[in-house]
Amino acid sequence: MVFPARDASASPDPHEQQLDTDIQSIRAEIRTLQRRKRFLTSSLLSSDSIQKLIRKPPQPLLSSTTIADEVSPLVRAAGKHSDSNHHRIAFGTTAFPFKDPSPAGSAESSSLLGVRIDVCVRGGRFAKPYYVLLKSERVRGEKERRLRVHRHTVPAFIDIARVEGAYLSFPGSRKGQGQSQEGDSDDEAENSEVLKGARKNRRKQDLRGFVRELRRELVAWHLRGDAIELLREKLGLSEDEAQIDPAERLSPEARGGIVALAATAVEARYVRLEWENGRVGRFKLSNAGIVERAVVIGDDGRDKPMEDAMTGGGGRVETLLERLRERASVAA
Amino acid sequence: MARAKTLRAPTTASLPNNLRIPSTTPSLAKSLGKHSRQALLDLALLWLDDRNITSFPPYLQSNAQNDTNDEETLPYPAAETIEDVRQAYIDLQDRKGAKREVLERILEGDWRHGITLRQLAMADLRYMDDHPSSLRWTALELSRIDARQNQPVDTSMPDWSASIPRTQAATFVRALQQEISPLVKAHFHLSRSSTLPLTFLRIFILDTPYQAPRQTPEVFADSSRVIYVAFPDSCPFIYTSVSTSTGSKAAPSTSSVATDPRSLQRLVRDAVPKALSRPHERFTLKATALAAKSLPTLLALRGPGRTTAANGAFSIFADAVVEGSPLDPRPSNTVSAEEHMRVDSKIVSTEDDKENEGQANDVGTASKRQKAGGDSIGDGHLSPTSKKRRLATYSRFGTAGGSHTPAPLDRLDIRLLDAPSSSNDGGDTATAALPTISLTFTGSDVIGGIRKLAELGVIDPERMPSWMTGEEAVSMAVVRGGKRMKGSA
Repeated sequence: MVFPARDASASPDPHEQQLDTDIQSIRAEIRTLQRRKRFLTSSLLSSDSIQKLIRKPPQPLLSSTTIADEVSPLVRAAGKHSDSNHHRIAFGTTAFPFKDPSPAGSAESSSLLGVRIDVCVRGGRFAKPYYVLLKSERVRGEKERRLRVHRHTVPAFIDIARVEGAYLSFPGSRKGQGQSQEGDSDDEAENSEVLKGARKNRRKQDLRGFVRELRRELVAWHLRGDAIELLREKLGLSEDEAQIDPAERLSPEARGGIVALAATAVEARYVRLEWENGRVGRFKLSNAGIVERAVVIGDDGRDKPMEDAMTGGGGRVETLLERLRERASVAA
Repeated sequence: MARAKTLRAPTTASLPNNLRIPSTTPSLAKSLGKHSRQALLDLALLWLDDRNITSFPPYLQSNAQNDTNDEETLPYPAAETIEDVRQAYIDLQDRKGAKREVLERILEGDWRHGITLRQLAMADLRYMDDHPSSLRWTALELSRIDARQNQPVDTSMPDWSASIPRTQAATFVRALQQEISPLVKAHFHLSRSSTLPLTFLRIFILDTPYQAPRQTPEVFADSSRVIYVAFPDSCPFIYTSVSTSTGSKAAPSTSSVATDPRSLQRLVRDAVPKALSRPHERFTLKATALAAKSLPTLLALRGPGRTTAANGAFSIFADAVVEGSPLDPRPSNTVSAEEHMRVDSKIVSTEDDKENEGQANDVGTASKRQKAGGDSIGDGHLSPTSKKRRLATYSRFGTAGGSHTPAPLDRLDIRLLDAPSSSNDGGDTATAALPTISLTFTGSDVIGGIRKLAELGVIDPERMPSWMTGEEAVSMAVVRGGKRMKGSA
């Protein structure tokens, strides 16, 4: 589909088509190689030894100009970039300024504070970063400016409005008012009621607390998902290439007859299990990775020993299959 | 066709799954006729699947023996076993032919004794999978009515998960049935979408139980009596195909018993949040000013993902195209947005293999297309003004309206409350007779269209208000001073 015009008009000459596909594959290869080259150059430029060399204090004896003067801005940019990457890896949360391009609003209100949250997931990778953009707004009738969440990329099952309400209290805003809205004349009376209440127990805004809770929730979500994926890989249910050692994968006999294990929804809070003899189970994962509650139902009612095995013994989700196997060997 | 005359008594039960609609009903043939040949074959094979076969068995020779009709006159002789029926459809699948022959075989051959309500529901949902924009969906937010908001957060591990009702599908349907059974007679069908992370509930509303007369079979295939409710995974929203805005509107005619399909639909829609509620956990539906034909759009703008609260200029964050992973050594300004999007959460793989090549081609064509667009403005090289304009457009729209993140809005209604004069002074005085301007944009992709206009220089990308960039993620808005007002629509 690179050359739609020609495809439509010309007759499909097999020879020409062959050439076209050849050209396409060669182009793709060139792009791949170019990308690889860029990747390697930037790795090289930002590598520790080169950056150290540049930062070395100048040695006046050797030459009149220092290395620092000679290096291209590319090297500096690479150094800066690797610095910020180090911060992102080490702290997980970084802040940056962002300017809202919307023409409405003053220059003051259009400058936003961005928070970037990086979460490390299984396999030594990082998930797509999460962003929260905060807007500083003047509190009605006061001089003080307070932060409000303006836009964010946090998944909807984390109630960011509630976290905001707890840590970034804003007078006049109620729970559920995630986005900033103006011209809210209908709620004027109601707002002033709330305003009075809020004045009484005025809390300081705690941005650190807000980010901490948000990050904890995001990390917990990724950990839950990763734990479920680990169990699936152990059971040989995962479609993707497994990241675990093949030796860790359970043999069909050791699986205890589990034929399905999957999270019930994106939130990965509840996990559904299915056995080959028709029993179904469900357990709830806590943020700490503990099986909080479990239910297993078969044809003849609930399987209490199985449920106890799931929640017992510390309840870690990672060792769930081992506990089930132990229970099976005791029962046998 | 000769079903034993059963005793009919009014009950509050829902319509049974196995209620058969006579195959001769013209509207039934019409509603099944919407499908493509392939879809009809898939449906027939799905009906003949082992899990479903007991609920609507095909017409076999064993049935024919009790039948008084003359077998010879019928075009499709009854098959002996279910396996034969299956084979017949597999054979039809292998050879090319008209849709008509499949439809006739279904209605006059294997299901000549009638199509059940469940089969009809399955057919409708299949149609929705094939034609994702056949209906107009309204997004509603589920919000909790609770006393918890005043409760101080002092526990060591507070629970920040959103208030998403957790319920088993069957439990929910039973609760809904209990809620509406005194008023509405209905048939429910739950199904998981095969392409999207959604669960569909199809509700067919027949009538109130107080209207005793037998319905003509025509009504069973009447699409205006069907409501769809879609439940997206893990987010506090639901989508419905009922178009009226809020649930709390006062009923217009409470005195007379309203029995037209519309008011019955309203009754059902109002019952949905009640059925999701539990003691100490009550839900209500709030309008979110978004309606669109495409379900992927609703999922992008009111779904569980990253794009729900970051659109327009902020979509660059939602798609994470500004910066790469912390392990990426390349400075972010040297990497194109497409590449950022493509690498997803993975580390940039240095050894590209065959499977990446296909994706690389996609990116190549996309950039080529952009270049081709640029060519039409200035030949070969972009003039500085159009380059600047393009950058400005990108900063306003981000990735929204582009080819990579399709979330097309088919309609955008805007009411402007600002005085039409350009002078800003004295705006407060003329509140008495302030004209409002209503703008309606329609098309296959409104935001994408506005973006194209901005790229061509028809709209000034720097001065246009943010509702034009899709930043507010709504399809209806009341605007004053360039800002969307809350509680509108």
